[in-house]
Amino acid sequence: MNFQGKIDLHMHTTVSDGTDTPEEIVSRVREAGIVLFSVTDHDDIKAAKIIPKLLSGCGPFFVSGVEFSCRDSSGKYHILGYNYDPKSRHIRRLVKKGHRFRIKKVKARIDFLKKSFGFRFPKEELDALFALNNPGKPHIANMMVRLGYAKDKSDAINNYINLIHFKEEYVTPGEAIKGILKSGGIPVLAHPFYGDGDDLILGDEMEARVIRLKGLGLKGLEAFYSGFTPRLIMDTISLAERHGLYVTAGSDYHGKNKMVVLGDTNLSEDDGLPEGLERFLEEIKETGRAGF
Amino acid sequence: MTIKLTGSIDSNNVNDFENELIAKLQGYGGQSVEFDASSLDYISSAGLRLILRIRKQFPVMSVTGVNSDIYEIFEMTGFTEMMKVEKAYRVVSIEGCEEIGRGANGKIYRIDRDNVVKVYKNANALSDIQHEREVAKLALILGIPTAISYDVVKVGDSYGSVFELLNARSFSKILSTEPEKFDWCVKEYVDLLKKIHSTVVPEGKLPDMKETALTWAEFVKDYLPAEAGEKLVKMVKDVPHDDHMIHGDYHTKNVELQNDEVLLIDMDTLAVGHPVFELGSMFNSYIGFSELDHNVVKKFQGFDYETSQRFWHDTLSGYLGTTCETKIREVEDKARIIGYTRLIRRTIRRKGLEDESARAEVGFWKARLVELIEKTDNLTFSFNEMEVEAVIENLPEVQKFVSERLKSAECLPKAKMQISLAVEEIFVNISNYAYKPDKGTASVRVEVKEDPVSVVITFIDHGVPYDPLAKDDPDLSLPAEMREIGGLGIFVTKKIMDDVAYAYRDGQNILTLTKNL
Repeated sequence: MNFQGKIDLHMHTTVSDGTDTPEEIVSRVREAGIVLFSVTDHDDIKAAKIIPKLLSGCGPFFVSGVEFSCRDSSGKYHILGYNYDPKSRHIRRLVKKGHRFRIKKVKARIDFLKKSFGFRFPKEELDALFALNNPGKPHIANMMVRLGYAKDKSDAINNYINLIHFKEEYVTPGEAIKGILKSGGIPVLAHPFYGDGDDLILGDEMEARVIRLKGLGLKGLEAFYSGFTPRLIMDTISLAERHGLYVTAGSDYHGKNKMVVLGDTNLSEDDGLPEGLERFLEEIKETGRAGF
Repeated sequence: MTIKLTGSIDSNNVNDFENELIAKLQGYGGQSVEFDASSLDYISSAGLRLILRIRKQFPVMSVTGVNSDIYEIFEMTGFTEMMKVEKAYRVVSIEGCEEIGRGANGKIYRIDRDNVVKVYKNANALSDIQHEREVAKLALILGIPTAISYDVVKVGDSYGSVFELLNARSFSKILSTEPEKFDWCVKEYVDLLKKIHSTVVPEGKLPDMKETALTWAEFVKDYLPAEAGEKLVKMVKDVPHDDHMIHGDYHTKNVELQNDEVLLIDMDTLAVGHPVFELGSMFNSYIGFSELDHNVVKKFQGFDYETSQRFWHDTLSGYLGTTCETKIREVEDKARIIGYTRLIRRTIRRKGLEDESARAEVGFWKARLVELIEKTDNLTFSFNEMEVEAVIENLPEVQKFVSERLKSAECLPKAKMQISLAVEEIFVNISNYAYKPDKGTASVRVEVKEDPVSVVITFIDHGVPYDPLAKDDPDLSLPAEMREIGGLGIFVTKKIMDDVAYAYRDGQNILTLTKNL
């Protein structure tokens, strides 16, 4: 495989919580000199249907992507799915399920806030909330701040929203991995040491997690990541080597308001492709789905 | 630019905080950002990522005042390898605390009954503290009793390291408040010094004091008459390499009595080298610094100049294992050469020569130094030789001296016993006959040789010429009552030693015993 230029397999658009539309992100990808990319919106695959239509076929190359928020009794995970067939009912069913759980959770929280604290939420606010692809705690919190019920977002989350305890329904990593595999995709653990993005899992705990997920069908680890130190990158690579997993590279770009630079994965272009990434791309190439 | 981090940074507030930072950093043209984490209680990986993102734009980044939990997170995730991360240090006040010690790099205060803090002069002392911890650990492993610091603290603008020192009293304190313990102090002080100097340090672990002394000599050379300057440098260069430990600042404030144990502190000057370099700095502590103004030692050590002189003299005598004033003076002169060299350089570097008092000091030391250089040929001395009055009462001292010197030779117990028997025989002979009816001295020299591994013990006295080997061996076939009185001792000695040789030179009886090991 010979990619001259940047590779970034982890970014978000307005389909989830990014600020660039799928159209905008394609032009940014071109500007950044990225030659291979994937859009990995949270629990949604709309971009995988839109973006191929915007590309010419002679680069940049696009790999379908998604990032599922998962949970089981041992913790929270973000599982990336790559190169699935967007038309597959397995991946679509997974997305629907995730969305259903999410809406149910938001409703339960809103009801709780109304009942326990007597907050009132205007209809137009609630309509806007549910119209979001990925409504969640931060959006409820923002609404509360706008309405003057909390002094800031942390106040809203810690002192109100988090007080409700209900039996949450969630997509398990096993379901996500199985759905991705069945739709022809490659499941990869996102930012492994950071769990769901706000956690820190190290040492034996991390190793046990990788062994468990590999048992469920996981095929790769996101080793090159904008938010990793050189040490964490090296540790992820050696974890992947020990367990025979692919490695991938992603920035987790979310748009203009954040400081993550598109294409910044901490993978140096000059060093050539790491072996685990090379094998990952080989597998994608063999399916012919990404056009290279 | 310094940015304060407060409370908790996690996914709940990281976006707001990021926007705040973006606003703050907008238009900031510099490269360096310092995060003050002294009020930060918690940081999740969302916060860690934010720090990495900012570092991409501001490569010169540091985080200060990090509490120990958060420091651990920074360490485990490799942040400490990427940027300067400084731990938050406990703040300790030394106001009203007793100063119990003072070294080249800082002062030591007692902060409570059980703890002392060494406050470093240097503002950027963290690497010094690290160095001292490492050498103290090394010393402890090599068998030197010392205290190792367990915490680094902030004292005003400086850093300090904290040691546990329970009910300890420095030797300076003991000497100035309990003069009756003078002889005991000398003995313990000498024993510890000998222990330090008999400790072999693995190569490369400690700096070589000879190199440091050479820089002093080369500096001072330019201020001396050409011939004296060159001779000084040559003498320092000619001191043979020595891989034994020296403390570098061995004075009575750095030796503590904790319960019944004598502890060495202030380890940052630890080095390897010939003992003459140690003696040079000891000379300064007791005499050199105070020669012009006798109050200096009182102020620094708490005891007066007269006590200081006596302590230095008796220490040298004990250390060298001799009461012979000529020998003591000879070694002291070598120590003075190193001591004055160091003092001259110190004053010139600190005050320059414009200052009148500095000129006076330097002139005083220079005159002495030049005179000493003239009459000295080299800076080495053997402390494998002792001189005592030749009386039977001194036999235990001689035996102890010999057995100490034998330690490095790893003798078998049988050989040790045989050597001890021979030493007794010869020393008793000298005591009984050499000066009769007057008194005189005998010196004993012990050399451990290699190839073949052997011990050579030489007895020298200035008594009447007497060759014990000239006598025939006693005829053992005769019944005891018919044998000649005496002569049996030397016979036994010849039997158990591998060689016994006698010479008479320059009015001295020289008897050499060799035992192969």
